[in-house]
Amino acid sequence: MTPTELLRVRLGDDQDVFTVRRIGRVAAELAGLEAQDQIRVATALSEIGRELLAMASPAAVIFGLTPGELVITFERDGGPPFQPSEGVTLARRLMDDVRLDQGGGVITLVKRTSANRRRVSVADTRAALARLAPVNALDELREQNRELAATLEEVLRLNTELQETNQGVVALYNQLSAEMEETNRGVVALYAELEDKSSQLREAAATRNRFWATVSHELRTPLNSIIGLVRLLIGQGGDPLADEQRHQIGLIGDSAETLLGLVGELLDMAKAESGRVDPQPTSVDTLELAEQLRLTMGPAAHSRAEVDIVIDVAEDARRVFVDETMLIRILRNLMSNALKFTDRGEVRLTARLDAAAGGVVLAVSDTGIGISDADHERVFEEFYQVPGPIQARARGTGLGLPYARRLAEAMGGTLELTSSLGDGTVATLRIPHHMGPPEVERILVADDDEAFRAGAHRLLSDFAAHVDEAADGVAALELMTANPPDLVLLDLLMPRLDGGVLLQRMAEQDLLRDIPVVVVTIAPDQAPEGFPVLSKQGLRRDQLLEVVRAAIRRRGDD
Amino acid sequence: MERVPILKIGDILIVSIQVDLEDQSVLTLQEDLAEAVVKHAARGVIIDISVVEIVDSFIGRMLATIAGMSRMLDAQTVVVGMRPAVAITLVELGLNLGGVRTALNLEKGIALLDHVRSAAR
Repeated sequence: MTPTELLRVRLGDDQDVFTVRRIGRVAAELAGLEAQDQIRVATALSEIGRELLAMASPAAVIFGLTPGELVITFERDGGPPFQPSEGVTLARRLMDDVRLDQGGGVITLVKRTSANRRRVSVADTRAALARLAPVNALDELREQNRELAATLEEVLRLNTELQETNQGVVALYNQLSAEMEETNRGVVALYAELEDKSSQLREAAATRNRFWATVSHELRTPLNSIIGLVRLLIGQGGDPLADEQRHQIGLIGDSAETLLGLVGELLDMAKAESGRVDPQPTSVDTLELAEQLRLTMGPAAHSRAEVDIVIDVAEDARRVFVDETMLIRILRNLMSNALKFTDRGEVRLTARLDAAAGGVVLAVSDTGIGISDADHERVFEEFYQVPGPIQARARGTGLGLPYARRLAEAMGGTLELTSSLGDGTVATLRIPHHMGPPEVERILVADDDEAFRAGAHRLLSDFAAHVDEAADGVAALELMTANPPDLVLLDLLMPRLDGGVLLQRMAEQDLLRDIPVVVVTIAPDQAPEGFPVLSKQGLRRDQLLEVVRAAIRRRGDD
Repeated sequence: MERVPILKIGDILIVSIQVDLEDQSVLTLQEDLAEAVVKHAARGVIIDISVVEIVDSFIGRMLATIAGMSRMLDAQTVVVGMRPAVAITLVELGLNLGGVRTALNLEKGIALLDHVRSAAR
């Protein structure tokens, strides 16, 4: 039967052998064995223990008790197979039985006891033996084990805490990402909506412009017929009319012409609105332009003798590089407005250089009725007119200022009003990119490719005062003869007269021989020698200007 | 490791084993004893095992070895104070101590040595 375990100790070194046999002796005593048997048991344990140590085979020694036997078992940790040897032989002489089990892995020593001599309970025996158990390595190990277990527990606890924190973080993360996703969805939806709205707006604007253009165009034809017919009616050679009839027909004609003017404005506005205005900047003399304006606007002013037109152009703001037509239209609009709403005093046109902003400031100020704060921006809305007695008298569509602002923006400038009711109005036009005087007077671009001519024109627009364009060699030759340019940008492959022949013709004429030529071609390696060559591909402004300047300088040095 | 003290009375060396001896202690004791015999020109060695309760084959071999060694150095070895239980066990184990002389106690051991010497004289 399975013995009741009393104690388990390690057998690892000399000291353990002593411990084991001491315990064995006490165990034998407590099991009720006589003194001699106690010595026998202890000696047998000593023999087996030394044998195992000699084999360097550590083992666990288990003391057990059955009702009739003291059973001591050596459980080896492993090692070489146990060969029954002298130790076992000696032990057999002292014990009642020595068994080798599991190939010598387990050695069991049995000593029979007489149960009736036993006076100590198993529990007490166990306690007594436990006191004898080694206090050295095993205890230390057990202590370490306990500490380890405690540490492990702590680690486990920390781990749990960490896990909880982790869960919290993950939950927070999930919540945040869910919120983010929600917001994102909202943004996407909003964006789609905005996109939708903006495309609707674009469509509406396009429709409106088309409508305006169509209407204006369709209106102009019948209006022109009316005006023509009126002229026929009241002109010479027509049937004689009564004075009253003549007067009424005259009124019809006046109204028709007014209407035609309005329709024209409408058409301009529609054109500006659709972005089809393309500024063609040239060098403009603002003083000259202002004088012209004064002369043309003069009659309107002189109808009211109390209003003077004053021109005030600073010397450094005289030369501006802008689209002249557009500038005239803007200024005419502003001045006609100023004259319209000024009963007495002056209308002043000033031009100043704003060096800080790198532009020119043109201002039209008047001493008229002014505009209230509330109407400052509204006057730039189409068809808006500030209500009032003068406005009722004055004619207008309410398109003038919006149109002027459109043009100003097309030129890259701004148009603003400062005014207060009763104190007159100042309309300020700012035009950026005030250019210094152009470096050269005239450049001829000879190329059959219209897109390239336009591109070159744009690149050179502020560099040269005039850029001539020729679509073929013959036209180029004619142009350069009429207006000798400072430089020719020449394409080699052109219809009628190609680049090479054109160069020869130029060399034959005294007038044209010294004009510098820059060859711009799609095949730079086939260009004739003696001329700077640029490739059409990836042509940049700085690069172009550099070559052009160098060519002009070199010709000047010759 | 515990070192077993070796006492000297006249030309007799006395070793009293009080504790369980480890392998290393045993070797040391054998060396110390051999040196002491030579140094003191001892004629006899008495090993007292009166407090030793368990004598297994290992201790038995040790005693026999010491006796043999001493004999080589011209000294007689007497083991004294063996307990009855130890004696019984030794017999049961079938160990003889290689011809080691024994005496019941230290006094008789000294007497035995004197007797041997006088006989030799």
